[in-house]
Amino acid sequence: MPGKTTPAPRITKFTNCRLVRGSSLIEQDLWIDSLTGKILKDQEAFYELHLSPDEIIDLGGRILAPGLIDVQLNGAQGFDFSVPCDTKEEYDEGLRMVNRGLARTGVTSYLPTLVSSTAEVYHKVLPSLGPTAKTHQPTDGAESLGAHAEGPFISPGRNGIHKSEVLRAAQTFEDLITCYGKDNLDSSSPIKMITAAPEVGNMMSQIPEIAKRDIIYAIGHSDATYEQAVTATHQGATMITHLFNAMRPFYHRNPGIFGLLGQSERRRPYYGVIADGIHLHPTSIKIAYNAHPEGLVLVTDAMRLCGLPDGVYEWTNGERIVKTGARLTLEGSDKIAGSSATLIECVNNFRRWSGASTAQAINAATAVPAKLLGMQGVKGSLDAGADADLVVLGESDDAYSGPTLTVDQVWKFGAKIFDSDVKGGGVAV
Amino acid sequence: MYGFLLSFAFPSLPFFARNELTPHRRVIIREDPQEASVYIADYIVSRIKAFNPTEAHPFVLGLPTGSSPEIIYKILVQRHRAGEISFKNVVTFNMDEYVGLPRDHPESYHSFMYKHFFSHVDIPPQNIHILNGNAEDLTTECAAFDASIARHGGIELFLGGVGPDGHIAFNEPGSSLASRTRVKTLAYDTILANSRFFDNDVNKVPRMAMTVGIQTIMDSREVVIVATGAHKAFAVQKGLEDGVNHMWTLSALQLHPHPLVVCDRDATLELKVKTVRYFESIESAGTDARTQGPALVYRPRTYMPAPIVTKRTAAPPRQQPTPDRTPVKVPKDLRINTELHRTMEDDELTPDSMSSRMVDSAIGGLDGALKNDLIFDRMGARMTAQ
Repeated sequence: MPGKTTPAPRITKFTNCRLVRGSSLIEQDLWIDSLTGKILKDQEAFYELHLSPDEIIDLGGRILAPGLIDVQLNGAQGFDFSVPCDTKEEYDEGLRMVNRGLARTGVTSYLPTLVSSTAEVYHKVLPSLGPTAKTHQPTDGAESLGAHAEGPFISPGRNGIHKSEVLRAAQTFEDLITCYGKDNLDSSSPIKMITAAPEVGNMMSQIPEIAKRDIIYAIGHSDATYEQAVTATHQGATMITHLFNAMRPFYHRNPGIFGLLGQSERRRPYYGVIADGIHLHPTSIKIAYNAHPEGLVLVTDAMRLCGLPDGVYEWTNGERIVKTGARLTLEGSDKIAGSSATLIECVNNFRRWSGASTAQAINAATAVPAKLLGMQGVKGSLDAGADADLVVLGESDDAYSGPTLTVDQVWKFGAKIFDSDVKGGGVAV
Repeated sequence: MYGFLLSFAFPSLPFFARNELTPHRRVIIREDPQEASVYIADYIVSRIKAFNPTEAHPFVLGLPTGSSPEIIYKILVQRHRAGEISFKNVVTFNMDEYVGLPRDHPESYHSFMYKHFFSHVDIPPQNIHILNGNAEDLTTECAAFDASIARHGGIELFLGGVGPDGHIAFNEPGSSLASRTRVKTLAYDTILANSRFFDNDVNKVPRMAMTVGIQTIMDSREVVIVATGAHKAFAVQKGLEDGVNHMWTLSALQLHPHPLVVCDRDATLELKVKTVRYFESIESAGTDARTQGPALVYRPRTYMPAPIVTKRTAAPPRQQPTPDRTPVKVPKDLRINTELHRTMEDDELTPDSMSSRMVDSAIGGLDGALKNDLIFDRMGARMTAQ
């Protein structure tokens, strides 16, 4: 394909497009530099460096948004991050396949997420899942921002489909080191986020240790009371993993973890929401959004079966999963086993259900997760100096579900890697 | 009309062969700002096209900022997008810029031009000239700007707006009509008026600006002024009906051979009905200004290096608000002077057909009968001048 062999034009200007700026869409041009892979401070480049665009792309009024960020994604393309391969090379090859496939859905960066596993699995796969920003090429597709370790320090009563046998309770930080591996918790840790139940073992006192290492502590798969949840935020928790799912439900005498969105003594945490139409009732999402609109992070919680035909599939630890459309359940139970929705579908659902503006709905999968990860201005942003990870979104009016956003183009570090207009979609993939 | 008569009488004079280029004052009145802006945009497009610029021989355009020009830029951008006009071989000089305001400040004229025009058209950035309001030595910057205009063979068409007090560029009332590019202290009204762009805080408005001078504008081959809105009516009246006056710097254009003033109806509110009708009758007589610009002749570039300023050791880099002397007088013989290429007859006609007519018109308001005599007289004088 052309993008691969001929050198791409250096400065690209997008024109006739609507940019996501704050909570609205505004008509403005955007300049990107494929050499640095960043969004240009265009006026300065124009006057100071006398740069003018090598290529002008007329988007015909479509939306230009930052690339989507998924902070909870278990696998895709039949590849599961939590299942080690025989060799590291084989695993890394599978990872590359996932990255390229994800990019085509508009996700340009994500946290590869591991379900509760044995220590051996963590030691094996974590080194492959760390942030790849330094070596990442546009053609590699989606970029890992670090791993999300969902478990195994979670509540046995709120385990969802996590296998009970591998769950642990931590008394000291040593227990975390033993589980994840010492190298994986050091300063430049491949782990970006840990989901754990604060009430299990002595996790509460480990939260500051985790936060100290620049790892986000997310409350999730937890039976914590409201008081315990508040204490966890005091200790440094800044995130709630898939709000409502796998936690003590809201009860008027004790609102549980959900209650964190109602208090105003402390900064309300960010919270993940699976807007696939299966995990949550639309109104539940609306309630949470109305309580704390700036904290809502759309996640897919998608797993490797995403995109595969219906049927029964092997799951970890010898269990099996039944896939019926987008619905995934553990064989022999009604337990929901993750989702197979794409993030853009979640954006569409969320926009329809919540009454959020288009820009606000997109922010929930771009700017807000970037802020959660401490990467504002680098990811999830169209400001000058941010990474030129972009999606071009077309708008169609689906007869069944109403206004729908579609991923028309995907750009990574200033280079186009997907275009739905090009046959087969792949420009460089 | 006169051109026709004269060419009939003197068919041998080559000058009259291009009678559509007869220098005269043109005032065009349109119903609203939009129509006035369309007229000007079309005019600029036609002038650039007629010039047929090349890389070696670009069209040199002087540009303003402000709310009236904003509409013109919008239309020019539309024309460009429609493929009607390219700015590849256009060189631009901007009239003015604030002093001390960061270049990327949203209210800087760099930002204005980028936002409304430059970022939407195909002009190469190196063809753009805007004064650097943060230059270490503002005097040198101004002189270099004039020198750069000279190097490009002078300005072909200068587009400008007009302030409610009649100022063109930042040549506030009282500016020297012989001025060139320099630093100016803004008039208090201008600061007040511009404070709306600076959070309505007068203290945030820069106190100084660099601006081309009246003479810089007068030296350009053609000047096009846009005046829209009732708040410009008084300035238009002073500029068109009264005499040349440094308190209404717009009036200096009465001495320019090729001015074109485009107003909307509101901006004519203070003009005499007679004046308005007169200009309307000129237009309805079929003299379309769009075909009446000055001759687009090739002018060789005269290279004039920027004056080398020896660093004064003790002096602070930034000078007093208003320099007590005009920065570096440009030597007369090196000036880009379009008049060198014009015939004697040309010069004769210019003052006759414009400013004198205007003066008459103002005086004539006293007496209707006198008017007829004067006009008759005017014709006769013109004929004998040949």
